[in-house]
Amino acid sequence: MLFIGAGMLLLLLLMALLPSIFAHQSPYTIDVSRALKPPSAANLFGTDDTGRDVFARVVHGTGVTLAICAGSLLLAALVGGAAGALSGYFGGWLDQALGRLVDVVLSFPPIVLGLIVTGVLGPATRNLVLALSVVYLPVFFRIARSGVMVETGKTYVEAARSIGLSESVILWRHVLRNIAPLLCVQYVVLFPLILQIQAALGFLGLGVQPPTPDWGSILQQGKDSILVAPWLSLFPGLAILMASLALLLVGRSLQRVVDRR
Amino acid sequence: MGLYSLRRLLASVLTGVIASMLVFLLVRAVPGDVVAQMLGQTSDETAARTLRAFFGLDQPLWQQYLRWISQALQGDLGQSWLGGQAVGEKVGQAFLVTAEIAIFTLLAAVAVGLPLGMLSGIYDGRWGDLLIQGFNLLGLAAPVFWVGLMLLVFISATFGWSPPLIYSGPVDSLRDNLEMLALPVLSLGLLQAAACSQFVRQSVVSAFQQDYVRTALAKGVPVRSVFFKHILRNISITLITFMGLIFIQILGGVVIVESLFAIPGLGRLLLSAIEGRDYPVLQGALLVIMLCALVVNLVIDLLYRVIDPRVRLS
Repeated sequence: MLFIGAGMLLLLLLMALLPSIFAHQSPYTIDVSRALKPPSAANLFGTDDTGRDVFARVVHGTGVTLAICAGSLLLAALVGGAAGALSGYFGGWLDQALGRLVDVVLSFPPIVLGLIVTGVLGPATRNLVLALSVVYLPVFFRIARSGVMVETGKTYVEAARSIGLSESVILWRHVLRNIAPLLCVQYVVLFPLILQIQAALGFLGLGVQPPTPDWGSILQQGKDSILVAPWLSLFPGLAILMASLALLLVGRSLQRVVDRR
Repeated sequence: MGLYSLRRLLASVLTGVIASMLVFLLVRAVPGDVVAQMLGQTSDETAARTLRAFFGLDQPLWQQYLRWISQALQGDLGQSWLGGQAVGEKVGQAFLVTAEIAIFTLLAAVAVGLPLGMLSGIYDGRWGDLLIQGFNLLGLAAPVFWVGLMLLVFISATFGWSPPLIYSGPVDSLRDNLEMLALPVLSLGLLQAAACSQFVRQSVVSAFQQDYVRTALAKGVPVRSVFFKHILRNISITLITFMGLIFIQILGGVVIVESLFAIPGLGRLLLSAIEGRDYPVLQGALLVIMLCALVVNLVIDLLYRVIDPRVRLS
């Protein structure tokens, strides 16, 4: 399962980094005379309502979609992980206050939170990245917090304190290194979830703005012509499905390795 | 039990208060002046000042919050800035629509996911289990709006049927109401059934590895009896917790399918309130969603204590 997932992921990464190898047509060229054409040899996934090649848009959209998800999740991991580590290590009022705030954020359905933050800030790529990172920041907070609390009870921390190392050195140089694998696995496990939320926000018109191709926004453009041009929705959806599946397979395998340890 | 319930209730109230502050601040973070947007380019400073004073926007944020929350506690969520309808009435109507879809979806998800997960767990490693796991993976990976779109295409192409264009409540026309909800519930329900099935499967498989199950099987107790008399009882606790979690996920998914199938629920209300910068409606709708999630979590916590005697006695 790991190899299948890794293989699919590698293909997606290649498409993201070198889209022109896979799609020779431009994702931006408009040709109204070829609007809403079904899949053919010339246009593998058909054309959209302005005549743009859907295959090229899906391929070029791979990089945009995956980059937004990767960036958002990295931001969530860094900020959430750091806050969780501080909270778990020092405890006290900081832990109580942050814990309450995290409980509140987690009480919202993730898509609603993403929708509100993007809707409030406006549909721009920067705001989308911020909104998506806010959605899963609490998860990294909790993972880091519980991981640090477990590590703090171990003998090496006591030994480090006894030889006079400062708390910040113990936390950032030693404890954090030991919880880093947990955060990395969580990064992979959450990727398909954030991908689906990003696509959903794009579908609701709150994602990347046109003409930049993005899987969710391609689906949103195809929504109104679904009964006459179903290919507009079929292929970007299959791309999301394939990417989520690959990430789920890889994430599960990594989770099993960590659980065994 | 009474002291625990009281403490849990107080914790929920505190979380609710913090959440209401977050809701209020999030809405106020909307960039651009809503009064300027309402008055347009022909506005003058006097009219803008009068409007701001009318809506209470000239007061400090903390005073605006206190005014809003004290009115909300008395059941008054204010009036919509677009149309003047009472927010409570608008949000209440939308909430009933969303709740109907969410409840049907939860029932469908459990009705399909529970037996699939049980079969998959009992026949762990065999063909049936692999097929069900395949379904689970696809369900977890597929985006709900795409499944809804594909189902719409498939059903209209195959059966020549499409859902009604205008929403009807169950009181107005039960048949139209059910036809309207069929596709949203089917698309969301299938995906949540996959999540439920996966969870149940994992619970059953780990339960079969427990000592008490191995002892029962070694004593010759039939697998069916072991499953229904012992395993199901022990996994029911975590199942209830999981159902609470997926209800919150379903609330999120309903927001998307409402937009797809043009159903006038909380999701569409949220989107139109964001678009129109209708602060009171946005605050009211978010408050209702947040309260829903809090109540579900509280009920699950209290049910946990009732069902599991180990939690009660500890």
